[in-house]
Amino acid sequence: MFILKNAWISIKRNKGRNILIGIIILIIACACTITLAIKNTAIDLIESYKSSYNQEVTISFDRANMMKDFDPSGAEGRESARERFDNIASYTISDIESFADSEYIESYYYTYAIGLNGNNIEKAEIESNNDIPNGYGHGKEPNMSSTDFTLTGYSSLDAMSEFINGTYTMNEITDNAWEIAFDGNYVFINQELADYNELKLNDKIILEDEDGNTYEFEIIGIFKENEEGTTESMSMFSNSANTIVTNASAVTKITTNNEDLRTTINPTFIIDSYDNVEKLQDEFYEKGLDENFVLQTNEEEATSGISSIKNINSFATTFLTLTLIIGGIVLFVINMINIRERKYEIGVLRTIGISKFKLTMQFVLELVIISFVALILGAGIGAVSSKGISNSLLENEINSSNERTEEIDKNFGGADMKGGMPNRGDRGEMRGRGMPVVEAYDSIDAVVDIKVLLELLGIGLSLVLVSSIASMVSIQRFTPLTILKERS
Amino acid sequence: MANKKHNEEKKDIILSIKNASYRYSDAEEDDYALKDISFDFESGKMYAIRGRSGTGKTTLLSLISGLERCTEGEIIFDGKSLKDMNLDKYRSSDIGIVFQSYNLLPFMTASENIILSMDANGLKINNKKEKAIELMAKVGLKEVYADRKVLRLSGGEQQRVAIARSLSYNPKMIIADEPTGNLDKQTESEILDIFKNLAHKENKCIIIVTHSQNVCDAVDVIYDLKKVKN
Repeated sequence: MFILKNAWISIKRNKGRNILIGIIILIIACACTITLAIKNTAIDLIESYKSSYNQEVTISFDRANMMKDFDPSGAEGRESARERFDNIASYTISDIESFADSEYIESYYYTYAIGLNGNNIEKAEIESNNDIPNGYGHGKEPNMSSTDFTLTGYSSLDAMSEFINGTYTMNEITDNAWEIAFDGNYVFINQELADYNELKLNDKIILEDEDGNTYEFEIIGIFKENEEGTTESMSMFSNSANTIVTNASAVTKITTNNEDLRTTINPTFIIDSYDNVEKLQDEFYEKGLDENFVLQTNEEEATSGISSIKNINSFATTFLTLTLIIGGIVLFVINMINIRERKYEIGVLRTIGISKFKLTMQFVLELVIISFVALILGAGIGAVSSKGISNSLLENEINSSNERTEEIDKNFGGADMKGGMPNRGDRGEMRGRGMPVVEAYDSIDAVVDIKVLLELLGIGLSLVLVSSIASMVSIQRFTPLTILKERS
Repeated sequence: MANKKHNEEKKDIILSIKNASYRYSDAEEDDYALKDISFDFESGKMYAIRGRSGTGKTTLLSLISGLERCTEGEIIFDGKSLKDMNLDKYRSSDIGIVFQSYNLLPFMTASENIILSMDANGLKINNKKEKAIELMAKVGLKEVYADRKVLRLSGGEQQRVAIARSLSYNPKMIIADEPTGNLDKQTESEILDIFKNLAHKENKCIIIVTHSQNVCDAVDVIYDLKKVKN
């Protein structure tokens, strides 16, 4: 109590000096708040980006490995290569399920494509062969050129990469489309195919395999392929005009019924860490994956968008460090001057029996009280300023994230379209494909939160203690009688 | 070394200096500021420690007041060696110190300076200001001075405040370093009367470091310090 009382008297007495110290700490606190807010916003954004990108691996054909001993000059070499190519073991759904049963894999999804002919519908006329959606081609590609349509089954929303990346955009959709899309014989068809066959929502289409088995599907959505997705070949229709989108279960039923159908499977595994990819690949080989396949990650894609945020984070760290160093030095010097000015007071207090410890505590407490007030004011000013500064620095990232999120929703039918995408919360697995949660940055609380305040308090008190070292050391070294004699 | 004006029988020794020597930490091995000093101080008496410049008066004051520790020998206060005592507590409770230049805190009032000393001692009194005014009255200062900044007081008044401060926790001994050095004859006489009263009426031991003949004339015992021959 005595220490506090004396500290308070001293603060009131030395108003000028304490206001100066307060202003310096206020500036430091303000700069630190803004910097910490920017840093934390940047870190949150980086984390958001990282979490929005699942750590994924896909199985790719290792063409380089296949071609390493290939001698294209002779017929023998070409024959040998063909033989090797034919002998590459493809993988099935059960293989994928086996691969997915790994400690490194959190979940997985896949697309499953087969070729079928139309029974009550006609193929939209095109000049080129029947196309396979982008991203296909892993494993032995089924020969679908002889069939009218490609039936592509997706195992989940995550697997619908063409909708996510904007190749396809939903034009029309039934009210309950997303509730039933992954269970039963429901399909999304291309607008061009719909126009060609005068099909509309809820119409039934019948497809048949080469053995004449028929399969009926109900149309629950009509999509269009965006222009940038078309090929350079001469064609009236887009590549996906004859692509019919359904769920993987529906395709599995067909392949179970007719095992002779040739299929294309594109699996994507969501893993716990990119660090485990090599171990996972070895595990896949042990489980029977042909060694001409390799695992590829989406790491490059996931990290490419955050380099500017990382730069901002790095700049904020440097700025914070410099602020603290300069602020610390200034405070240290002011404290040194303060101690020299108050040498006589120290001498008197020591002489009347106040211990060095109590005296040191009094000086530190004075600084702590001033700092505390300045830190609160600085945090307040910093909080008001930081939102604008953070948001302007991160504006591009926030805007692009917002646009991307809106775009993806639109591709799936949009929130304003009947039967549009279910709420994001209901499709928690839809975190992938670069959809960071950016709404948080609209709120000031998200910028200067309790974490920032605690960091600021920690920094402030550390700074005060470090700069108080001057007074602590001086008080220990002062000899009261010498001080008083000097003054006399 | 000691010149005793009154050859009274020794009794009630409050402070005893036994073969005390002091050498500054940066001095050579045999370069003593004080060498082999032995004095006894009794309660109820007023002492003067006299000596020319360089004889170690201030050093002895530092040792007695617990601001420094003896290099050799020891100082016994009230039966306990200062070596075994907490010297901060010793200064804030057992002794009072009065300086030539008063050493009051100029930004405080007279009463605040006295209360500060009570606070340093940890004294638990309900109305400290009342006690401060009482102490000021004891040294001849009117209540009206209580709320004055000490810089607005005369030298004699400041010294009275300093004495009142040293009495705030009722110490057994008061050590004064040239307490009348800055004062006129009249004020010097009044201050010495205060010390005499404290010694003779309140049974306190008063030790005054001085080279003033007036002070020496007023005290009961004079100890002379001579320069150490190295």
